[in-house]
Order: sequence, then structure tokens, then C-alpha cells
Amino acid sequence: MRIPRAASPAWTAFRRGFVAALPFIVSNGVGGIVMGVAYRGVGLDALAALAFSVVVYSATAQAVTLGLWAAPPPLAAMALACVATNARYLVMGAHLRQLFAEVPRRVMLPILLLLADASWLMTVAEAERGRRHAAYLLGAGIPMAIGWVGGTALGHALPLTPRGPLAVAAAFLPLAFVVALLPTQWRGRRSLLPWTVAAAVAIGVAATLGPSWAMLIGGAAGTAISALRGDDA
Amino acid sequence: MPERDVLLVVLTVGVASVLMRVGGFLAASALPSRGALPRLLRLAPGNLFIAFATAGVLEAGWPALAGCVAAVAAMARTDREWAALGAGFAVTALAAALG
Repeated sequence: MRIPRAASPAWTAFRRGFVAALPFIVSNGVGGIVMGVAYRGVGLDALAALAFSVVVYSATAQAVTLGLWAAPPPLAAMALACVATNARYLVMGAHLRQLFAEVPRRVMLPILLLLADASWLMTVAEAERGRRHAAYLLGAGIPMAIGWVGGTALGHALPLTPRGPLAVAAAFLPLAFVVALLPTQWRGRRSLLPWTVAAAVAIGVAATLGPSWAMLIGGAAGTAISALRGDDA
Repeated sequence: MPERDVLLVVLTVGVASVLMRVGGFLAASALPSRGALPRLLRLAPGNLFIAFATAGVLEAGWPALAGCVAAVAAMARTDREWAALGAGFAVTALAAALG
């Protein structure tokens, strides 16, 4: 009679995270397809489009980078924009250090390359249920990455050559990625003043310094108003 | 854009992205868990997004504005990113066709 071997805790946690995140193959895939179409629209070849989604792996940073697309590329503004929009990962990473202080860096750092908002939230929720394991974060991250990178490849490969109004709409897609996040950041009437200031400063900066710096300087102005007023998220 | 420039963009934005992902874990002891810095990090995204959207609409014109309104409305109603992207795309195309 064969005695079944118990799966290791790491494998069990990995599998639980992977299965829980499977729906993200579809949702991230749709986003990835849109990004692939947008990359094709600005004339990137398939390898460059894939490199973006693999190396950068951030819908917001990739959309903002596309929004700043120009020749020659404004590298400093692009890097600053990526740092500004992804700074939340610093907080998530610091929190994960508290959760997984005993996990060696050589194990944890590669897992963090797949860190996403949703996988972080799922891992924190799992830890709160008493099932704290770094393998869960890795398991949850993999379907999300497969969806995003696979979607980018698929979107770039689609035989689409938008013209006329469809070309205008395709050029709008990077902006749409960021705009879609606005409702998640809206804090009711508290957001009204800082957002108005951020928008007004962005218009002034776009007209004077150019659109590359509008997001950073406008965003900084709005954030300063929120902070000075004592807001907290 | 020349291939060399594309590679530079991928590397620059990629390094920034990776630093954000691993930076918090590596510098956890140096990062305060309370106080001004975490508060600024929580407050910044919405302000950055609205500034980015405003500059983008200013550059792209009224079809993009119509698309933004549709995307925000769809996201607020459905809480689904794909629905927001689809609605934004459709309305922008329609607005551009109407001239």
C-alpha cells in the first residue's frame, strides 16, 4: 500500500496562490492586449514590446512612458514618472519585509520582481487568515505575469492597422489605462481641491515646459496641497 | 524612434520599476512605517494620475476628453478595468468620427 507523501508547506502555499490568481490571466491579458496594440501603434517591434512588459511589468509605468513617447526620449522624465507612479511598491515591500523577515534575500528578491498590487493584497489577506508564506506571493504573481506578458504579445501580433477614428482611439489607450484608475483614487470632496490644483498646474506646465513634466509637477502640486491640509490617503 | 533609444527607455524605466519593487523590502528598516513619507506615497497617485490625464487631454483634444469621461464612468460603475478601456476606446473613436 502506498502512503501518500504530504506536500511541502511551500508547494501548498504556491499552489493556493496560483489557483487563486488564475482569473488574472484573463483580466491582465485584456490589459496586455491593449498595451500590445498601443506598442504596435507607436511602431515598436514585437521584441521591444515584449521587453517592455517583461522588464518594466507595470501597466501604469508603461502607459505613462507611452504618454511621454517622443524622439529623443525624455529619459529623466520617464524614470521620474515611473518612480512617482510606482512609489507605492516601496510601502508594500517594507510591509512584506515585516511579514517575511526570516526569508533570505536571495529567495525574496526574485519573487518581488513579480510583485503586483493584487498579489500583495492577496498575500496580506492570506497572512491575516494565519497562512503566511512567501510562496503564496510567488504563486499569485505568476498567472498575473503570464496574462500581462502573453496579452502584450497577442495584442502586438493582432493584424490591426487602425486608421482614421480607430487610430485616434488607439492613441488614446495609454491615457485610458491611467484614467481608469482615477475612481480608485477619488476620496470624495476631499479630492476636489488638490485634483483641481494638480490639473491647473499640469495645464500651465504643459504649455510652458512641455507635457513631459506636466504630470510630475502638477502631481507634486496637488500632493502638496493634500499633505499641507493634513489628508491621509 | 531608433532601436538604441527604445532600448535606453526599456532599461531606464525597467531599472526604476525594479528598484521600486525591491527597494521597500531592502530598505524596510530605513523606511518609516508612519509619518510624512508613507502619507505622501499614499496621497501622490491620484494627483499624479489627474495631472497626467489633463496634460494628455490637452494634447489629444476633445475626442480624448470624451473617452476619458466614458472610461471613468465605466470604471466607477463596473470596477472593471477592461470595461473602462473598452468604453474609452469606443467613445474616443465615435467622437473622432463625428469630428
